[in-house]
Amino acid sequence: MRYRVRHTTRYDYASPVSLCHNEARLTPRVLPWQKIETTELTIEPRPAVVSERADFFGNRVTRFSVQEIHLALSVTASTALQTQGRPLPPSEVDKDWQSAASHAPRLPELRQFQLDSPFIMRESALRAFAISSFPPGRPLLEAVGDLNRRIFETFTYDPEFSTLATPVREVLRARRGVCQDFAHLMIGSLRSLGLAARYVSGYLETLPPPGRPRLIGADASHAWVAVHVPNWGWLEYDPTNGNLPGERHLVLGWGRDYGDVPPLKGIMNGGGVHELEVAVDVAPIGDGDEGSRQGALNGI
Amino acid sequence: MESYAPGSAHDALIASDGSVRQRWLPLLHQLAQLGREALVQRADEVQHLLHENGVTYNLPNDEAGSRRQWWLDPLPLVISPQEWQQLEQGLRQRSRLLAAVLKDIYGPRRMLAEGVLPADALYANPAFLLPCDQLLSEDDPGLLLHGVDLTRDARGHWRVLADRVQSPSGVGFALENRIAMARALPDLYRRAPLRRLAGFLSAQHHSLSSLSRLNFDHPTIALLAPGPGHDSHFEHAYLANYLNLALVEGSDLVVRDSRVWMRTLGGLQPVDVLLRHIGDAWSDPLELRGDSLIGVPGLLEAIRAGGVGVANPPGVGGLEHPLIAAHLPILCERLLGETLQIEGVERHWCGQPDGMAWAMAGFETLAFQSLDEGSVLISVADLSEEAASQLRQSIVAHPDRYVAQQLLEAATAPFFSRDCAELTPLSFNVRCFTQAVFDADYRFRAYETMPGGVAWQGAPGSAMRSSQCVKDVWITADQPQPHVSRLRRSRQPLVVTRDGADLPSRVADSLFWVGRYGERLEGRSRLLREALYRLLEQDQEGLADETLIDLLHLMEPDSASPDALPVEPFVAHRERLLALFQESRDGGLPMLISRMVNNCRAVRDHLGDDAWRVFNQLRQESARLPYAGIDQGRRSVETLITQLAAFFGLCNETMPHHFGWRFMDIGRFLERALATLRLLRLALIDSAHAGESLWDVVLTTTDNATAYRRRYRSELHPAAILDLLLFDEANPRSVGYMFKRLERQIERLPQPSNTPYRSDEARLLIKARSALHLADLALLARLDDDAEAKSALSELLDALTAPLERLSLAIEHSHFSHVEAPRQLVPMQAQ
Repeated sequence: MRYRVRHTTRYDYASPVSLCHNEARLTPRVLPWQKIETTELTIEPRPAVVSERADFFGNRVTRFSVQEIHLALSVTASTALQTQGRPLPPSEVDKDWQSAASHAPRLPELRQFQLDSPFIMRESALRAFAISSFPPGRPLLEAVGDLNRRIFETFTYDPEFSTLATPVREVLRARRGVCQDFAHLMIGSLRSLGLAARYVSGYLETLPPPGRPRLIGADASHAWVAVHVPNWGWLEYDPTNGNLPGERHLVLGWGRDYGDVPPLKGIMNGGGVHELEVAVDVAPIGDGDEGSRQGALNGI
Repeated sequence: MESYAPGSAHDALIASDGSVRQRWLPLLHQLAQLGREALVQRADEVQHLLHENGVTYNLPNDEAGSRRQWWLDPLPLVISPQEWQQLEQGLRQRSRLLAAVLKDIYGPRRMLAEGVLPADALYANPAFLLPCDQLLSEDDPGLLLHGVDLTRDARGHWRVLADRVQSPSGVGFALENRIAMARALPDLYRRAPLRRLAGFLSAQHHSLSSLSRLNFDHPTIALLAPGPGHDSHFEHAYLANYLNLALVEGSDLVVRDSRVWMRTLGGLQPVDVLLRHIGDAWSDPLELRGDSLIGVPGLLEAIRAGGVGVANPPGVGGLEHPLIAAHLPILCERLLGETLQIEGVERHWCGQPDGMAWAMAGFETLAFQSLDEGSVLISVADLSEEAASQLRQSIVAHPDRYVAQQLLEAATAPFFSRDCAELTPLSFNVRCFTQAVFDADYRFRAYETMPGGVAWQGAPGSAMRSSQCVKDVWITADQPQPHVSRLRRSRQPLVVTRDGADLPSRVADSLFWVGRYGERLEGRSRLLREALYRLLEQDQEGLADETLIDLLHLMEPDSASPDALPVEPFVAHRERLLALFQESRDGGLPMLISRMVNNCRAVRDHLGDDAWRVFNQLRQESARLPYAGIDQGRRSVETLITQLAAFFGLCNETMPHHFGWRFMDIGRFLERALATLRLLRLALIDSAHAGESLWDVVLTTTDNATAYRRRYRSELHPAAILDLLLFDEANPRSVGYMFKRLERQIERLPQPSNTPYRSDEARLLIKARSALHLADLALLARLDDDAEAKSALSELLDALTAPLERLSLAIEHSHFSHVEAPRQLVPMQAQ
């Protein structure tokens, strides 16, 4: 599939901001199944300093500073990319999950995805929640798939319930949250069982209801999970939708949890209270109605 | 000495055959010559000096009574040249090793890939900061300053207890201890062939300069500290002063164009090198802890871009983790190809089968540390049977979360009792320091050690700040050592650019308030002294003095107007006056003192040592106030007045008369003018009991009684008082003089260039001065019996007060530029 992704973040400040330093992780990663055709980051007002680097996980980070006095900041990432389906592990690598759990500590690069991270702590409650999907000897992929399905089926998607600061424990108790909470919950459950799991940040193309036109800007950032399959690699799961990510899941980057890959963060001097608008548009290229309508903006 | 009986473990003083070790003999001989009485005196003198310089660790809340004093033993810890030579080599090796580990863990992570270091040493290490990955450039030495805590074991072998690399503190204490000892025991110190510390510190300046990438000739170096609330604030101020660095806080700095700049009165000034004394995680709220208010947003990027050099680099704290310590012997073999020279304490990670087996086999005799953040070392021997079994279960369930370590049987060293009557063998810790040194072309050369350190009494591994007793550490030399002056001779021509415009705005702000609170305190003390005198008279003569009511009104800003107050009996007056000695009282002396103290602390490095000494005495005096009665209170107030005069006098004599001093002076005279105007209004207009008694108060509280008598040689007359205290521009206690002085100071403040307009503060002063100059003196002279004159005076006082009240705001607005604290776009800190 070919897509054009436009992700706009706009801050309107109540009082002038004299200086801000920011980091954006808004450029999709290059992957075997994801090719970047063009990508551009537009920042208004124009930043005085811009630099790029790869972070610890290899994600592309754009660092910029706006040094003039401003009342609004807008950051738009615009990327054209092509995706293909992800490869699936052959059945012979799908061993029982306990051997996968004992595999991870031996590889240093996996260990960080197995331990606690700032937003995700291993807990007995998470283990207890997950364990019914993980009876001894069950093949890893079957068990993780079952956990993925259970989160999708028994949790309610509720944007009103949680904030960035809501602990995973609360999400588990209330059985509600958003994609980021479900990803954290699933990662925490897998790590509590000793498995290596990481957080994937990206986008999902949403399909309009049958017979209705696609609304521009109605999409949002999305997050899901990848679990490490020994002797093969990382396999992604999307607990918010209960499926395996495919061509419609576009990957920005990954880390231990949300804190490693926020699309945009910054520190500013001044500003007072601010209003935030985020608009994400994932448009298939060539479907005819690209850019033809101005849709509602969707705040997060 | 006779009673000194060390146990079976190694002792620093007495060898196993019972003889006194050679290196102690000259020192003990001299102490013996001094005699116990003199020694006690000198020891007191040492404590006194330490206290006055105020470098010691102290708690941020500034109740002088609650501040813990540490005691500096007049007997230093003596280390012989041979012993030091070995130790020194080991310390230098350790620094090279830690630098190599640092570069590996934030670089290629070869030791992880090769299985030398377990992944948990980094990924279960909260001080291993992912944003600091690849932060160091190839030629960066990485580790600039390194503190090592050591002790000796029962066999007498030196053992490392811990490495301190995240803003290692203690260099300032070591210096301070040495200076106090040298002053109190000059003979002892001068004659000892003793290695000096000054060379190490002057080299430190060069080392820091070597980190500058953009400015090689005269780099600006700043010491980044968490501020006066931190318990090491005085060490920071002391070091900054000694090393000639600007003492700054995060809010003084800003990153623009990938460089670090300091906000000063003269605008932004570049900073080339930071000596960092704030924790790693707090250094940059953009990439590290987002809730840090003491860091500098964008600092990591400035480091990456080569815009600033930082010692030690953020992320270095990862080296302090017990899992790294446990693997240092093997890391030393693999990274340096050498054997680790100074043994640490034997440690094993329970996450490895061998380590777990070792831990379980010796369980009862070992100590355990969990890898959770902030956990402490638990010795199994100290636990109840039940707690020990719980610990064992917890280790078996999560072996990878524990490190087991051997308990060290420690050697002893002689410590004096407080009365210097006897010596006792006690266990001790020593902190030594190393630093990277560079050649003349600023290329890294080697690590060198500070020939000395701080020793403190306590079980191995106990914290320095929890210790009761510290010692200077003497490295003896074979020959007498040259004395190195504290003022280094520069190898380069001195740049004379100090017009004071490089003063951080925050410092100017604090100095202004030192002036205001100091003056307010003085004025209040003078009023209180008068009030207490009158109270005493009232007690003796049984007569209620109406003047006392007026004085109370002046000192109790929140009370009702004087006319509404009934004449109260003696007891009520006493209660009200004594309330002004209480800490909780708004506008009471302790509160004013604490405000002044807070501002003084923040500018410690701008005040002279003598001023600081007087200031510390003032703080001690103030600690007595809440417990003082009338008599003692009056004496304390008198002392305060003298000390304040001494403090400001010393400031005037020793501070360069640049912007900093001007702001302090403006603060004082602004406050004094306002207080004098209030006093005049009360005495000449508002008071229902106006008369000689009150006028007398006016003259005594302004210390002008003598001047009045000499000039007018007459009965008190209000017009004469006005002449003396309002119009006479030559009398430092007159409002006219104060206006003139304020105007002159304000004219010389930095102004935005190219503006043809006068500043707001200059205009306000012109307004006030004109009102004074245009006053109708003939009319005011009839003040005694003329209602018209009285209302004219009232108008005049208003016209003088109003612009002054706006002046403070105008100055803050023009010069102190209170920046809003940087904030996160989205709060990002995980709970």
